[in-house]
Amino acid sequence: MKPYETFSSRFGGHFAFNPEFIIEKSRRFYLLSPRLKRMQSNFYYAGLYLGKMKDGIFFPSFNLLNMLVDEVANKVVVDSKASWLYICGRDVFGSGIVKIMGSRHKGDATLVLNEFRECLGFGWIADDLGGSTEKVAIKNVLDIGDFLHRETRSKE
Amino acid sequence: MIVERFLCATCNVELMSAKQFFIDRYAKLGWTYKEPQVRQAIRINQVSAMGKKLPERLRSLGVEIEKVPFLSAGYWVNSTKVSVGATAEYLLGLYSIQETAAQIPATLFHALPGKNVLDACAAPGGKTVQLADLMGNSGTITGLDINKQRLSAMANHLERCHISNTIIYNVDARQAKLLNRKFDRILLDVPCSGNFAGDRGWFNRRTLTDVERNADIQKVIFAEAATCLAEGGEIVYSTCSLEPEEDELNMDWAVKNLGLKIQKIDCIGSDGLTEVAGKKLDAQVAFSRRIWPDRTQGFFVCKLIKEPCS
Repeated sequence: MKPYETFSSRFGGHFAFNPEFIIEKSRRFYLLSPRLKRMQSNFYYAGLYLGKMKDGIFFPSFNLLNMLVDEVANKVVVDSKASWLYICGRDVFGSGIVKIMGSRHKGDATLVLNEFRECLGFGWIADDLGGSTEKVAIKNVLDIGDFLHRETRSKE
Repeated sequence: MIVERFLCATCNVELMSAKQFFIDRYAKLGWTYKEPQVRQAIRINQVSAMGKKLPERLRSLGVEIEKVPFLSAGYWVNSTKVSVGATAEYLLGLYSIQETAAQIPATLFHALPGKNVLDACAAPGGKTVQLADLMGNSGTITGLDINKQRLSAMANHLERCHISNTIIYNVDARQAKLLNRKFDRILLDVPCSGNFAGDRGWFNRRTLTDVERNADIQKVIFAEAATCLAEGGEIVYSTCSLEPEEDELNMDWAVKNLGLKIQKIDCIGSDGLTEVAGKKLDAQVAFSRRIWPDRTQGFFVCKLIKEPCS
């Protein structure tokens, strides 16, 4: 399995990628349209960026997470306060979860959506969902606040 | 002809401040200097934000916005309780922060969806994302930029806004021919000397030597782009410079040397200058638009076409 497939399978659903249109360049993966595929040669960035491999770990893009939203089973919807805290890098407490879809089991991966069903990132289920509201329920692994960190890093 | 030398003839740069020099220069071009009141602006990404009631969502966050009358997706930020560059809506790619006048060039193309588009000086990608949005992510956009660090920022911008029809190369626009492609639409938002609006240090930093150097580079990029333009194709040229060497004089040069014709455009601003320091320019140059700083930064934009061979 390709790294993006392995990553996607952790969310409990099946997501089919067409390998014909996925290009790997410098350990980064891009999904190209047929027209872009005909143009691709020595590019810097192309099509939909899916993620990268670094030190043996796959780092997904937000494009990939968005593609998974409609397809995979594991996702939670969080309230507005938890959404804000989440994109600030904080974990999700049980009290912030308003809906659970798919796995509730500790250790599984889940997407985190805001009240508009927009994907804010993903995390690991830290404690079986549906239990205590006072504990960390989702451990934040990646959130859209990452774009701000990238801007800061590029300025430095 | 080096026009600035002529413009300098009646004043001694050594004896006046750089600011006064440029203010006098603009007066000779027909504009009286006044302190601009440039307003922060955003552009709603129509594809990403479709059906999401973004203006209402922003208002609920304490961001008061006002529609820019001459832009279909542009809004001025009148007041805000939060940083508009750090909201969830921004990070989700529902809108971009883009200066008002800078939102104009991409809107001037005719029939963008499905076309092969070149964004010749693309990074950091604000206009590329806007083009992709106007194309509904159809067709292709080829983005070029010489600066790899800026391309990194551009890649983040494309990812944030979920752009899927763009391919970017770390290639100098002066070597665009190397791609061996013809494009239906070319955006030439060329590197320029900028302007003083929103840049406090501009007057003390810029010299006419910079202007001359930039104008020369712009001509090389322009000539290269013209060879990559398909017959019947369109070029939109823009700068945020107020110096005629980078604007009307380059348009005059393009009409006379690149076989392009200038088209009338529906755009704010005043007609392009057709006489600069006594030099008469091609009458078509009047179709370009010069936007003096006021609520927007200073800007210049012109649309040119390569007519199909009969």
